[in-house]
Amino acid sequence: MINVLVTNLPYLLRGALVTLWLALAVVSLGTLLGTGLGILATGGSRVLRAVVTVYIFALRGIPVLVVMFLGYYAFPALGVRVNAYVAVGVAQIVYVGAFTAEIVRSAILSVHPGQAAAARSLGMRRGAILRAVLLPQARRIAVAPLLNNALTAVKQTSYASVVGAWELTYAAREIVERTLASFQIFLGVMAIYFIICYPLSLLARWYEKRLVVPH
Amino acid sequence: MTDYLAQTAVLLAALWPKLVAGFLITVEIATAAAPLALVFGLVLLAPRMDRRVFISGPTVAFVELMRNTPLLVQIYLIYFGLPVLGFFPSEFACGVAGIALQHGAFLVETYRGAIESVSVRQWDAARAIGMSRLAALRHVILPQAAMKILGPLGNQLIVLAKDTSLVSAIGVMELTMTGKLAIERSAASAEVFVAIALFYLALTTVIGGVMRALEYRVAGRF
Amino acid sequence: MAMIEIEELRKSFGTTEVLKGVSFAVERGEVVVVLGPSGSGKSTLLRCINLLEDWQAGDIRIDSEIIGYQADAGGRRRAWPEARAAKVREQVGLVFQSFNLFPHRTALENVMMGPLHVRRMTKPRARELAAGLLDKVGLADKADRYPATLSGGQQQRVAIARALAMQPKVMLFDEVTSALDPELVGEVLIVMRRLAEEGMTMIIVTHEIPFARDVSDRIIFVDGGAIVEQGPPAAVLAAPSSARLKLFLRRFQGDYLAV
Repeated sequence: MINVLVTNLPYLLRGALVTLWLALAVVSLGTLLGTGLGILATGGSRVLRAVVTVYIFALRGIPVLVVMFLGYYAFPALGVRVNAYVAVGVAQIVYVGAFTAEIVRSAILSVHPGQAAAARSLGMRRGAILRAVLLPQARRIAVAPLLNNALTAVKQTSYASVVGAWELTYAAREIVERTLASFQIFLGVMAIYFIICYPLSLLARWYEKRLVVPH
Repeated sequence: MTDYLAQTAVLLAALWPKLVAGFLITVEIATAAAPLALVFGLVLLAPRMDRRVFISGPTVAFVELMRNTPLLVQIYLIYFGLPVLGFFPSEFACGVAGIALQHGAFLVETYRGAIESVSVRQWDAARAIGMSRLAALRHVILPQAAMKILGPLGNQLIVLAKDTSLVSAIGVMELTMTGKLAIERSAASAEVFVAIALFYLALTTVIGGVMRALEYRVAGRF
Repeated sequence: MAMIEIEELRKSFGTTEVLKGVSFAVERGEVVVVLGPSGSGKSTLLRCINLLEDWQAGDIRIDSEIIGYQADAGGRRRAWPEARAAKVREQVGLVFQSFNLFPHRTALENVMMGPLHVRRMTKPRARELAAGLLDKVGLADKADRYPATLSGGQQQRVAIARALAMQPKVMLFDEVTSALDPELVGEVLIVMRRLAEEGMTMIIVTHEIPFARDVSDRIIFVDGGAIVEQGPPAAVLAAPSSARLKLFLRRFQGDYLAV
């Protein structure tokens, strides 16, 4: 019964590896992008703030799958030839970036305004205020949502299979269509995803609790 | 430039009926799955908050499973798995079921969070006038929790609407699938998906607006 | 027999003992004020009397009946089930420092909550009772307002009316004016004074010394979980015999740097 899963495990694990690479790239670059944008969204330039707000609003209202399709078809349309991974990866980075930007933006804004006021009255300028006062405090608030965001991004790498990029879910579907052992394979794949995601989930939960206690 | 725009306009005009049809299916999926998810979450709430571990344990395990595995794989499991057991539900039903199960699991935590966020002092006040735990829950805690839930619920519904796009993976002719098919027949792929993106944006914006209006009306009191 | 009898009450939170064998009695119609520094166990004492807290040893009697615990078949001490405790709480009213009004109900509805959902009164009767009580605390015109639109003093008076709606035998007040702006304190004290004059049995935890002197029949000074001194207000406040009470009172008589 479970033989199917065992024999195909190496193939699935190769897929899992691809998933992990994809997830790592997307989460790190997406979070980086989003953090930068989120900080810009709290800055002085009204134009920048508006642009980032529109960006966040647009991407949060569209399914990630559609963004992936857009990425997949936009590159060739612009004359650039990229492989599926880059297309899907860039799309997801942009997507994760939007959600990250929103988290970072609201974390910075939720730091008590008195803090920035106090720093300014000491003569500090914007850059220093951000570095020394706002970001350290915003970081505490943002960690848990960012971890949850990362968790979602990892799960969303599976959608790349729909656009045609080969990773764990794609591999699973290949095997099922060949062997028809849907339960064993998909449950096995769920287990693999669970093993990848659960630690992240626990970490996010732990940080959530940490935030509540000091208050 | 204008040439390009004119061509795109013609293309999209031809595609329009199909896009609208796909959009309607998307809305159908969402309107079918959302109430199921809401109810499923409620059904799981009592066992989730039960103090006896052998009752809350399985519920927690289920919720964790849903939270830590992709919705796409869950949908595949249902779609490819049920026929093995002798059931042959439609793609539509599989998609709705998958979405309802996953979102129901998430909603349990949302419900639980709202109830636990009602201050313990409200429990104190209710018990101090002689209310039983059940009466306190019914008349004091739950009404307040219900009001706190609208914000997170709105967000969840937006995610649900977006998740309907996954059902394209098993062949349901909703909006995203319509896009995939249209691509195969024409050259203007990116533009089609921009149009599709705008449809989704309209949907999520409306949902967001309605929920915020609801929140505003209810929160006006306190 | 006294209305309330406390005998050797011991209560700990984890390893910290907060009440160390407290004993006293309160007669019917008596007004007792409990004074003491924060952390001395005063709030915990009140919460034990209305069964919002459990305790490890000692007895509490309301109107001669033991409450909270009973001996089971094997002679072991067993806590009452919640339903039985709820019945006692109908008889013992508690007003909180943080008012704890139900924000999703109007002032009138707040007062009606007890009669409606615990006593199962009909709506018209409950409304009548509640309206009368709101009038008694001077808030008849605020009946349809939500708590968020009321001042602290008004909210606290609604809270008192809500507790009175259950027609309790005893009223407990847990620092009910400590969270109020100074100008709002008086309106609450007036209501409490009137209640005392009408013969309600009351235990009041407060820092309002002049109020205590005027209204109470007896003052109990608690420190470190034990009763240090008690007696009639005139005696205790004018001529405290214990050093700790002397020190405690010095701060309320202008010497705020006393240490």
